[in-house]
Amino acid sequence: MGCSSSLPDRSSGRLVGPNGENGGASDAKNLRVKLVLLGDSGVGKSCIVLRFVRGQFDPTSKVTVGASFLSQTIALQDSTTVKFEIWDTAGQERYAALAPLYYRGAAVAVIVYDITSPDTFNKAQYWVKELQKHGTPDIVLALVGNKADLHEKREVSVQDGMDYAEKNGMFFIETSAKTADNINQLFEEIAKRLPRPAPPSSSQNP
Amino acid sequence: MENADVFLGLHDFLERMRQPSASDFVKSIKSFIVSFSNNAPDPERDSAAVQNFFAQMEVDFRVHPLWAGCSEEELDSAGEGLEKYVMTKLFTRVFASLPDDVKLDNILHEKMALVQQFIRPENLDINPPFQNETSWLLAQKELQKINMYKAPRDKLVCILNCCKVINNLLLNASVASNENPPGADEFLPVLIYVTLKANPPQLHSNLLYIQRYRRQSRLVAEAAYFFTNMLSVESFISNIDAKALSMDETEFEKNMEFARALLSGLSTDVDSQPNQGGQPLNANKEPTAPLKSSEVPSLSDLEDKGAALLVNDKQSSQVFRQYPYLFAHVGDLTVNDVEDLLNNYKQLVFKYVCLSKGLGVSAPSLPLKSSQTQDHQHAETAKQQDHTRAVEPNDEPSKDTDRKDDGSNTESLFEVESLESKLSQDEAAAVQDSKHEESSQSQLS
Repeated sequence: MGCSSSLPDRSSGRLVGPNGENGGASDAKNLRVKLVLLGDSGVGKSCIVLRFVRGQFDPTSKVTVGASFLSQTIALQDSTTVKFEIWDTAGQERYAALAPLYYRGAAVAVIVYDITSPDTFNKAQYWVKELQKHGTPDIVLALVGNKADLHEKREVSVQDGMDYAEKNGMFFIETSAKTADNINQLFEEIAKRLPRPAPPSSSQNP
Repeated sequence: MENADVFLGLHDFLERMRQPSASDFVKSIKSFIVSFSNNAPDPERDSAAVQNFFAQMEVDFRVHPLWAGCSEEELDSAGEGLEKYVMTKLFTRVFASLPDDVKLDNILHEKMALVQQFIRPENLDINPPFQNETSWLLAQKELQKINMYKAPRDKLVCILNCCKVINNLLLNASVASNENPPGADEFLPVLIYVTLKANPPQLHSNLLYIQRYRRQSRLVAEAAYFFTNMLSVESFISNIDAKALSMDETEFEKNMEFARALLSGLSTDVDSQPNQGGQPLNANKEPTAPLKSSEVPSLSDLEDKGAALLVNDKQSSQVFRQYPYLFAHVGDLTVNDVEDLLNNYKQLVFKYVCLSKGLGVSAPSLPLKSSQTQDHQHAETAKQQDHTRAVEPNDEPSKDTDRKDDGSNTESLFEVESLESKLSQDEAAAVQDSKHEESSQSQLS
């Protein structure tokens, strides 16, 4: 643990941070992006995010309780910044019908499965199809095989993941939230693929 | 969420509105509010009108000498002040103003009242390390405050506070049990469970109201996320069936049937819902008006009164059906019952202590014999409800606290009169409101 803090945000009693981010306005140099995480329960969605946010700890970033919503800003080489607002979703089957409420207006969807579980890979494919049908047009899709550190238990081959992603025009990567392997690469790659200048401003509304 | 600065925002806003140079603002606020009384409710149009008005006013504030040299934050709190002021004025006009919404509120309320009787954390995939029904009562209480406020932001804060409590509890549980840090897989099921148990008043209307009248540019990021979770809770609960709870069809129906019987046996007015809209729906609510809200009865008065009612109640045996251990003998119990008993005990103590606190007495040691009839009472419900409701099963603490708002100050607050002449009065009300928030919600920080 230690990747998130139970300290409340004392610096601001307002619902959003200072510095004029209220309008949800992002400009070409400073993108604000809604990213939704989908995938079966237990595949490590929240661990990936915590790893990402903790790994690049920014003392000025807002301290948030819990990992179901986190935000993190990264700087790209071309001096643009991308602020990810990461929306986690409950992966249990009984909550699947609620997902549209969460991915509405998302500029990015990260679909996660567990390389040791073919079931979760099937579920990931279900989400890909659903997003292709109902997601924001030109949404950036990423397919992530997590728990890559568990080689000996692998049941979904790298090739299978790669083939499926390629067929569907998605970005593919295998990660390990445990060892932090490829976590930053995942988000940097997503940032590069974002359409410029700004994502639709509707992404800021629920 | 701390509220002090928003209170300051309103205070500051009203201060500025008193300046002579603000007369144009006062005029347009006044005429905007008046314009609403000329038309029949139309949520789409009303919401757009309010959002546009806020947006335009915020633009105007920015260039007006009153705010010259002010920071973004000061401008932002001016916007908050405006929103709170205008929406408090328009509240009765736009909240739950359509019969269809009122109907959906009632359907949802009844559904929650039934399902809460038999739902278990397992039905929603809440894993044992994260189960903590006693502490979840704290989250329930936050949600039940939602009708104590009229401004969209304040209602939203109730939801956000509820979510924060849950997140804190989950985080503690994950540390204690060495589980992975909690994400949405853990959070959403608990929020559903807590909502079902809290059965907050007019949930549907409250969510619509926040969605329509909370300034859109402020319903973003974290607030938007947790608000979306609440929308998804509403959707899930509306659609609850056997499959959604992993029960088989007959078991689910049996549970619903039993819950219905239980509720109809205990309450003469299951149909009448707590209502914040200030509509005359409340008029037929308290046929016997047993207690005047001005006098707070003592704990033992309540106990005596309740006992007397129970003695006269032909259905009193049914009242006790929900306490399976009440007439059990030691020999009947198995080791497996211990957990249930302990949970019951914890809830009982919690509610009893709340009740005592609410009445302003230090909690006496729990009188075991009479506690069963008391544990569902609550200071606020006791003040306002008829006695049949007071022994309703799982009558969660402040189910009816919303009626606070229908008190004497409502009338005066909502008369659309000269803005200037009303400023001080509204301010006083807002001060009260904020103080209440501060004291009751500061525990969360």
